[in-house]
Order: sequence, then structure tokens, then C-alpha cells
Amino acid sequence: MGKKKTVVQDIDRTIYDIKDKVNASYQVQEGLTPEIVEEISKKKNDPEWMREFRLKSLEIYNRMPMPQWGPSLDGLDMNQIITYIRPNTPMRGNWAQVPDDIKNTFERLGIPQAERKSLAGVGAQYDSEVVYHNVREEVRRQGVIYTDMESAVRDPVYGPMVKEHFMKLVPPTDHKFVALHGAVWSGGSFVYVPPHVKVSIPLQSYFRLNAPGAGQFEHTLIILGEEADLHFIEGCSAPKYNVANLHAGCVELYVAKNAHLRYSTIENWSKNMYNLNTKRALVEEGGTIEWVSGSFGSHVSYLYPMSILKGENSRMEFTGITFAGKGQNLDTGAKVVHAAPHTYSNINTKSISKDGGACTYRSSVVILPQAYGCRSSVNCESLMLDDRSRSDTIPVMDIRNDNVDVGHEAKIGRISDGAIFYLMSRGMSEEDARSMIVTGFAEPVAKELPVEYAVEMNNLIKLEMEGAIG
Amino acid sequence: MNLSLDQVNIMPAPTWRWLGINSVPLKGSVPDFLPYSGEPLSALPEGVLISNGPFLGAEPETGMGGEAADFVKENSTYGLSLHVGPGVKVKKPISLNFLLDEKNPALADDIEVIADEGSEVTIVMSYHSAEELKGFHGGLTKLHAAKGAVIHLVQVQLLGSQCVHFDNIGAAAGKGASIDIIQAELGAGKVFSGIKTRLDGTGSNLDINTIYFGDGSRSIDMNYLAEHAGCKTKSEIHVGGALLDRSGKTFRGTINFLKGAKRSVGHESEFNLLFSPKVRCRTAPLILCSEEDVDGQHAAATGRIDAQRLFYLMSRGLSEMDAKKLLIEAQFRPVTDRIPDESLRAAVTDYVKVRLTKFEPVG
Repeated sequence: MGKKKTVVQDIDRTIYDIKDKVNASYQVQEGLTPEIVEEISKKKNDPEWMREFRLKSLEIYNRMPMPQWGPSLDGLDMNQIITYIRPNTPMRGNWAQVPDDIKNTFERLGIPQAERKSLAGVGAQYDSEVVYHNVREEVRRQGVIYTDMESAVRDPVYGPMVKEHFMKLVPPTDHKFVALHGAVWSGGSFVYVPPHVKVSIPLQSYFRLNAPGAGQFEHTLIILGEEADLHFIEGCSAPKYNVANLHAGCVELYVAKNAHLRYSTIENWSKNMYNLNTKRALVEEGGTIEWVSGSFGSHVSYLYPMSILKGENSRMEFTGITFAGKGQNLDTGAKVVHAAPHTYSNINTKSISKDGGACTYRSSVVILPQAYGCRSSVNCESLMLDDRSRSDTIPVMDIRNDNVDVGHEAKIGRISDGAIFYLMSRGMSEEDARSMIVTGFAEPVAKELPVEYAVEMNNLIKLEMEGAIG
Repeated sequence: MNLSLDQVNIMPAPTWRWLGINSVPLKGSVPDFLPYSGEPLSALPEGVLISNGPFLGAEPETGMGGEAADFVKENSTYGLSLHVGPGVKVKKPISLNFLLDEKNPALADDIEVIADEGSEVTIVMSYHSAEELKGFHGGLTKLHAAKGAVIHLVQVQLLGSQCVHFDNIGAAAGKGASIDIIQAELGAGKVFSGIKTRLDGTGSNLDINTIYFGDGSRSIDMNYLAEHAGCKTKSEIHVGGALLDRSGKTFRGTINFLKGAKRSVGHESEFNLLFSPKVRCRTAPLILCSEEDVDGQHAAATGRIDAQRLFYLMSRGLSEMDAKKLLIEAQFRPVTDRIPDESLRAAVTDYVKVRLTKFEPVG
């Protein structure tokens, strides 16, 4: 009898793949020129400093090479990407005022329902612009600012704060696609939590890219005052088209002394998406950044949230899961720089490859000479569900003083016959045993997600088991 | 003469350039190459044929890469092909002892070992020099283990701290063959070491145990690759060492499971003891996998000596410094104990002891 393989179904994308008719009030030509960047800046009514910043970023973009180390970007032709496409609606603070087609899309994704039930505020971006932004009154009364980036840039009170922080943590010189972001960014959220304010329920921004051949370049800037506390959730999706779409967002997080920020992401872009996203956090003394990251969509992903532990006793925790199916090459992981004494980092990732998909775990842990008394622990596990798939692990540690405790563990393999046998000897069917093992494999990540997202993730990884040990 | 190799020890899957770990250049001025004037080879046991070329074996890919291999071939000062006949089990180790001195300040040795079906051989290679010699050693070692053959390779490098040394190994293992490599990279100021082994044959094995020792401003750069091509292949790579003063070490270790390497197992571990706030320890443990039915694992631990072990030794009357020295020696013992030649083993122990006398705490 031939061996049968575990069959893990593809993620059900039905609700994500519904396309709206493109009804843009305005869009720029494909490609990237100084004229297009000027045009975007003018349409967005940028202050002069931002216009200059965009043009400078474009210069940097033009002279920087493509990355030479990750998955192929050959299918991405910047001359075919529309960098700015404005939906036919201004930003609203009430769902009833959002046009029906756009509102229905977000309804299907469950955003208004989640807002009513369990969120302190919601921002919803559709193509290049934010179409809805709202924050609960009690959170607003705490002094929390949660608004779209464009409003923040132009705001007389918060504009200077934006100018002081905007792309200072992730400068356009960092890499080619962040330079691109600097040139054509649009949309995204600005969050400011004043010192000592604890936001007890999460804020959420949801990014939806509807137009074929378009790019989305939202910028998220979060500034937490001393001892502030926030959980921010980011979700992303797009319907599938036959042309390449591009997401090159940028997230900058400033975590002040003793503040705590949890940043959760469920990324479910369509499988024609090039997801070249950059995220970075700067953590001051005693502060904590927690990243929870689920990568399920995209054709190609480059995603490695970075934490700079600048203050003594600051901490980072990264929990991530990546699931690559047919046609996907997802290169994900994390970076941390220990720049101060007694800092702590913990990276824990899981990846699953199936049906020809490729997962790469890539990371760096750098401990600088002045960062004595640091601890770092990295654990990455990869599960291969068939021999058409691929799974690579590429971690690097660079340790520059002796007063450290650094540990690293990596494992790659298949579902263990021994574990199946054990569970079957306890009376389970083989299918149930396999299902339990794969669910258990993802469990450390699922338990870090907000409950409705954990349910969504479990739905995303639907398992259908059959046959004998594969 | 000028030594200019743009890229050696190339990582098989590159990562971010800013980490500076994808490869390393090897450049500098080295003494002129002249034929090696001594006789490094011990008496040959029966059943082993030697020649100084032409080499018969295929050219395996090497850990340091083609540039370093070509450099040795072009500048070879000593070449040797050892051929162990079918079924011959050579009990006594074959030794190759190289001494770098004023007559032989630059050595480029090109060594080939062919172990025919069912044979077994142990080769012990050692490199020595006076501490003050400004010498150079570049080595190319090619190992071919046919079906069921076993090759034990022991390499001990005790060169002076003014020397530049590289050791470039390529190996291929047939069905059921075993390749066992022990490396003691203890000397030289700049050390480069690369091992690439292709496990083609079903059930073939690779076992690498390496120790390194950095003090002063020494740098050690390693690139090990175990390529699993056949079914039921097994690799074990274990590296341990100590870094003192301003020394630095880079270790790249890759287990690569190719498609078809079903039921293969690859384990890799690295333990680094650090003794100075000025050291730099870089590690890139890669697992590349395009086969489902495998078991790949890596573990690394880096830090100071465990405080409890230190406390225990100090409670038995040792000073902190003596306790640390003892623990460094203990870190090396599992590898040095496996050196088959008693006098060489003693030389290694003495060499480490002398180096440790210079060990002082750096604040």
C-alpha cells in the first residue's frame, strides 16, 4: 500500500478574495518619477518638509540596489505599480457615511463588529487612503490620540511630534523599499498615548488593498509616553489578481521608560502580493515591546520586525508563525539589537511549509559592547508537510561582550511517528492525532493572539487528515 | 608575495549584508613559496600507496570555496595522494607533521586521501612553528571515502601568533562510509577553516568535532557544511572554544538536506566560553531543508563560565583564575583526548597550558 500524506487544506480565502469594482476618485500613473511623487505630495497637501522628504527618498530609492539575499523579486516591476490610488470617499468617523461597497468589504472582514465588541478604536484604510477612523470617547478623554497619518502631519499640535519622529527610526537609507515608502507613503495611523495612560482594550488598524496592480504604503507611528500601555492590532488583506501588487508599509514604535506595547499583526495578503514591510521599535529604560506576528498571505514576504533595546532593563518578546502554501515564499523573522545593559530578548517562531511553499526563518541578535548582563533566547521550529516544500533557517548572533547569556535552538522536521504512535496508543485515531500535533505546534502563537484572532487563525489552518503515516 | 582572495567561507544562503558574515576576504602579504624541504610523512603502513600527483580523485567542493582551493593548487609546496586499497584496515595512524621555520616560512599543502571500499585509515596532520615566526600555511585536503570506508582525519594547528593559516577541506562519502574529522584550531593569528562534506551514499556519516582558542587579537573564521544527498545520512557537527582578550570568532555551520535525503539526521551544536568584555563571537547556524522526512537540529550557547561550577572549584581551594583555566582546559578535553598520537596529544596540552599562563582578566 502506498503511503498517504497528511493533507492540510489551503487557507480559506473566500472572504478576502471578494473584489470591489475599482471606483477611484484619483490615481497616479503607473511607475515612479519625481513628477508622480510631487503630484502625490500636492494631492495630500503635504507641508513643505514632507514634500522635500519625499523627493529625497526617491533619490535614495533610485540609487539603492535591490536586495541580493532573499526570495526573488523578479516578478515585481515598479513601472507597473500604481503608487497612489484614492478611494472615492473622504475619511469618515461613522460607518454609516462610508460608501456601501467599501463598508460591505469591511463588514465581511468583521471590522465594525469587532470595533463594537472589543476595540478601543479602529482605523480602516482602503487602497491609499484611510476611509474610517474612530476612537472611543473614554479613550479620547484619557488624552490618547489615534488618527490617520495625514491629519497628524498637518495637525498644529501633533505635527511637530510627527516631524520629530517620522522615519527617524527607519531612515529611507535603510533599504530600497523603505526609501520607496518615504517617497510615496500614504495613509496609516498615528497613535500617541500620554505618560501613565493605560489603554485597557486594543486599537486596531485594518489595511485593505482592492485595486489591481496597486501598491499600499501606509505609515504607522506610535509613541508611548512613560509608563503608558497599549495593545495595537494590525490586519491586512487583499483580493487576488493576476498582476503583482506591492505592500511596502513602515511601522515606527517609540516605547518610553517603563512603557509597554504589544503589536499584533495578522497578515493575510493575497498570493500575488509582494509584502516588503519594515517595522522597528525603540525601547527605553524598563520598557517592553511584544510582537505577535502571523504571516499567512502574500506571494513573497520580507518581514523582520526589529527591536532596539536602548534603555537599561528593556525587553522584547517576539512570537511568530508563518504558513507558506503553494506559490508562496515567505521570508520572515526578527531582529534585535541589545544596546544597553541588562536587556532581555526572547524570539519564538514556528513555520509550516506545504504544497510547494517555502518558509525561511531569518534573524539577527546583536549584543553591543556596552550591553553587559544581557540575556537572549531564540527558538525556531519548522514543520515540513511534504517533500515539495522548503524550509530554511538562517539565524545570526553577533555578541560583543562576555557578560551575556545567549541561547539558540532550531529544529526542522516532520510530524514525528513516535508522537503519532503515542497518541494512537491512547485511543486517538491517526487523523485526530495529526490534527492535534499540528494545532499544538501552532498553539504557542495562538495563545498570544486576541481571542477572536486565535479563532480566526485556527479557522485559517483547517486540517484535513487522511491515511497512514506519511 | 601577495595573497588576495576576495571571498572565502561563503555562507550557502546569504543574509543581511550589514552583519558582514556572508563571506570574508583573505588578503595580505605572505612569504614566497618554495618546495617544502622537510619530510613530514611518517613511515607508511602496508596497503597504502602514495604519489605526489597527479591526483586521481574527483575534486570535491570545499568549505572555504574555490578561490582558496585554487590558491593552494597554484602555489603548492607539498602534494601527496594517499590511496588505501580495498578492505585494508590501517591500524597505525599516518602522520604528516609540518614545521614552519625560516627555511619553510610558507606552506601550501595539497593532500588527497582515497579510501577504497571497506578500508579504514587515520591521518594525523599537525602544523607547528616558533611563536615569533611570520609564516603562512594554506592547506587543501580532499577526502574520498568509498562504500563502507572509514576516514579519520585529525588536524592540529599550533602555529605562532604571527602566522596566517587556512585549512580548506572537501569530502565525499559513499554508501555506508564514515568521515570523522577532529580539528584543533589553537594557534596562528588569523585562522580560516572550512569543511564541506557531501554525504552522497545511503547511510553515510559525518562527525566533526572542533575546538578553537582565541586570545590576544586572534581571529578565527569557520565555515562548515554538511550536505545530505543520500538517504539515511547522518551528520554531527560540534564546535567548542574559548575567547579571551580581544579575540574574535565567526562560525558558520550549515546542515543542508537536499531533496531525496529521506530519514537523514543532522545535529549541530556550538558552545562558546567568553572571558573578556572585548571579545566578539559571531555564529550563523543554518539549516536548509527541501526534504520532509528529516530531523535537523541546532543548539548554541554563548556566555561566561557557569557561576556554580566556578564557585564549586573555588570552594575546593582554587583561585578564580586557576578555576577558569581548568574549565577552559576541560572545554578542550573531549577533543584533545581523541588525538591518537600520544606525543601530539601531550604537545597540545602543553601548548594550551603555556597560552593560559598569559591569561589575565581584562576589565
